[in-house]
Amino acid sequence: MSADLVMDTCLLAGEIMLKNGGETYRTEETMSLIARAAGMDSVNSSATPTSIILSFRSNGQDHTRMVRTPSRTINLNKVTLANDVSRRFVSGSITLVEAYRLFQQIDQGKPVYPKWLQHIAAGIASGSFSMLAGGSWLDLIPSVLAGLTVNLSLQFFELFLRMKFFTEFMSALLGGLFALLCVTLFPQLHFSILIIGAMLPLFPGIAITNSLRDLIAGDLVAGVSRGAEALLTALSVAVATAITLWFMR
Amino acid sequence: MLLLKGLGLSLLSSMAWGLLFNVPVRTLLACGFAGVTGWLIYFILPHFGAEVILSTFAAATSVSVLSQILSIWLRVPSTNFSVAGIIPLVPGSLAYKAMLAFVNGEYMNGITLAMQTAMVAGAIASGLILGISVLTIWRGARHARKRAH
Repeated sequence: MSADLVMDTCLLAGEIMLKNGGETYRTEETMSLIARAAGMDSVNSSATPTSIILSFRSNGQDHTRMVRTPSRTINLNKVTLANDVSRRFVSGSITLVEAYRLFQQIDQGKPVYPKWLQHIAAGIASGSFSMLAGGSWLDLIPSVLAGLTVNLSLQFFELFLRMKFFTEFMSALLGGLFALLCVTLFPQLHFSILIIGAMLPLFPGIAITNSLRDLIAGDLVAGVSRGAEALLTALSVAVATAITLWFMR
Repeated sequence: MLLLKGLGLSLLSSMAWGLLFNVPVRTLLACGFAGVTGWLIYFILPHFGAEVILSTFAAATSVSVLSQILSIWLRVPSTNFSVAGIIPLVPGSLAYKAMLAFVNGEYMNGITLAMQTAMVAGAIASGLILGISVLTIWRGARHARKRAH
């Protein structure tokens, strides 16, 4: 087995996982398992949320390569699929070439759910969450619309605002202003319920859970940096909420 | 009635949240189920005299254990379930109240509320951690037995 192909396969697998919201420890483990199963010695892998380094020894020669993952989205289906392929390769039911081809297919695959369905899901999540927080039936439709606004504007601002913080801040602000508009037009609505619902699509759930799992797996650097990512999102939402509340006064 | 409404809403919000994060189609219902379990424990425990923080902790722990079990059963990473399962537990209204107090200049009140929010968030986090750790017991036991031989 050529060392280059092993390296390419491992890095592609790691990149898919890291780019789509997989945990850092899972990325490292997957890469080492594939490399070991392909017969490499002294395998070492290191991943942080923004970069992957893999090194191993084959036929008395060292190989090391590094990949950066500057853009990250969340697509847990791809993580699941990549996990599955690596398991199948390690258990020996597919060859390395097949695994590489499968990883390439996964990497280029489209999201499972179309964009419009995701926007509707964001709306439903917002609506049901604000009802859980104690809203009346009247608040349901406006909070669905507010969640929809936040998610749509998130997609829109991502196109030309290059900062994650700024994108989230702007969408949170827009969602808050929408809630403000609803309350101004229909004073019987609850402003607090609308705001609570509207901010739900921005909740950094993946960052928090992954940061915790990385921390208890012993990946302290990765865990802390993911925690910082989550805090930054929380901060942007908090600032936007404060500005909306200030308008409300 | 309140129970039924909460169950339906937590199912809906967890499933929608899973959909937002592109979980595989076959795990979508299981995501909703994780959310319902978490919310049910969060809702029922206060009737037995538990505080909000304790019930949040218990709910997060059970969501975490349940997602581990589901991940073994359905053969997918457990993040799929735990991310969606904790959504009904998020302290959204507490965080909002804290923000409102700060904007109104009631700093003491705001710090109290922000502290409560942080405690609930910490309860969710430690519950998740405990759930993951508990499920590694049998793996550790197997390891120890192998070493003893």
